[in-house]
Amino acid sequence: MGLRSAHYARLLERPRTRVRWFEALTENYMDSRGRPLEVLLKVREDYPVALHGVSLSVGGVEGPRPGYLERLKALAERVQPFLISDHLCFTGAHASNVHDLLPLPYTEEAVATVARNAARAQEVLGRRIALENVSSYLSYRESAMTEWEFLVAVARRADCRILLDVNNAFVSAQNHGFKAEDYLDAVPAELVAQIHLGGYSDMGTFLFDTHSRAPTPPVWELFRRTIARMPGTPVLIEWDEALPPWETLEAQAVKAAEIEEEAREARTA
Amino acid sequence: MKPGRLERLQRGLVRSATCAVDPDFVAAVEGGGRLSAAEAVAVYRRGYPARLTEALGETFEACWRVMGDEDFLAACREFVARTPSRSHNLSDYGETFPDFLAARADAEAAPFLGDLARFEWAFKELFHAAPRPGLSAAALAKAARPDSVLRLAGPLVLLSFGHRVYGLWKRDRADATPVTRADWEGPERLALYKEGGNPVFVRELSAPEHAALAALAAGRTAADALAGSGLDEAGAAALFAFLAEGGLVAEASR
Ligand SMILES: [Fe+2]
Repeated sequence: MGLRSAHYARLLERPRTRVRWFEALTENYMDSRGRPLEVLLKVREDYPVALHGVSLSVGGVEGPRPGYLERLKALAERVQPFLISDHLCFTGAHASNVHDLLPLPYTEEAVATVARNAARAQEVLGRRIALENVSSYLSYRESAMTEWEFLVAVARRADCRILLDVNNAFVSAQNHGFKAEDYLDAVPAELVAQIHLGGYSDMGTFLFDTHSRAPTPPVWELFRRTIARMPGTPVLIEWDEALPPWETLEAQAVKAAEIEEEAREARTA
Repeated sequence: MKPGRLERLQRGLVRSATCAVDPDFVAAVEGGGRLSAAEAVAVYRRGYPARLTEALGETFEACWRVMGDEDFLAACREFVARTPSRSHNLSDYGETFPDFLAARADAEAAPFLGDLARFEWAFKELFHAAPRPGLSAAALAKAARPDSVLRLAGPLVLLSFGHRVYGLWKRDRADATPVTRADWEGPERLALYKEGGNPVFVRELSAPEHAALAALAAGRTAADALAGSGLDEAGAAALFAFLAEGGLVAEASR
């Protein structure tokens, strides 16, 4: 489950939960020495934690902002996460951060740029990271490969792993007119470190990745299909806006875990 | 060196999202779904001020409450249009927002807004600061002499405003009572601090208390700080009790 400040009070009472691990948003903790970090370290005593960032800007031509990787490394040393991830995108320029997951063109130049930045990140952090496919609302005329070819090419070239967001693949498939199955089937299981599920909003003319609701039935179906190839992969339901009660979030996480277990049993049967 | 193709596309999207739509960028992309290229760029263009405004709203919650939606959001729009974000962290955004609010044309009607915003920024900074527990009251009593230099712990931040804003900040979120001149007129001096843990505390200070603490923070000896502040004996005792009980002194040295 995603660790959100709305959960702090509950988690500090150390209740028994059915949550297996938490994902913490890197930037909420890397600059804080106050209560957020205190809570995260307490939660870490009871659960494995993954650190998920939004500001690495691994596809940015300027590379990560000065000092960013060092701060991330310092946080990782304290938290000892089982995974460090960020997004396969750029987030703006150093002089003007857009704070958004901006899409990259699927070109050789972009693969090389991401690979160079990811390699630096992995060198500083002393470990492999995972990069997540993002939802996008535009595509570049000069893209020379499909989104999934780009994702896999980056992971191979950078020797990093993939955080496969099934919802983002669905949103992009709908927005850009391809089959999400073609996308997800093309991602080699051994590259996937984690899976995200989430809810989008239908804006009428396009799908918008809002993380404001439960995954839709087609996304659950795609998840079933994907996890069958990679049972055992940690799964997270992302829910950031219009946060429902804890019980709803927990039930969603349990549902995903049960589908994952079925896939594991089917594999061993 | 001439920028490469990727760099030109990235500059084009950043510019299109944060200031003016770049026609070359629009020509280089296709819209997703049934969006035209321009409409797709507009999706990113709408998201940008919304995110930065949300960040300002979180940090400057009391300003928002006092100004009301319309005025606060208009101020954010104006501020965001002229102030790029240079940090990786959204919650770093808005350091100059207090000065911006203070300088706005309608600041005459609410001249306290800059100070209220300064208070909120300082509060946010302290919220994220590491707690630094200082000496226990007993250890301090043992170590401190009139000629000691007291290094403050906590952390502790001193604020001095031309307007009273702490009362406005403390007001309940749902309290819609209009703000009147009597609420903010007159100077205010405050200490924001942590007592070795993470809760942030606020203490209102008299002018002599503020002067004494500022002198201590500047490295003056306890005796010097008190002598220059105008605090009487009882006042000095109360101030030291405050420092001792909060564990707000890291070290007493000579
Ligand atoms: Fe995701």
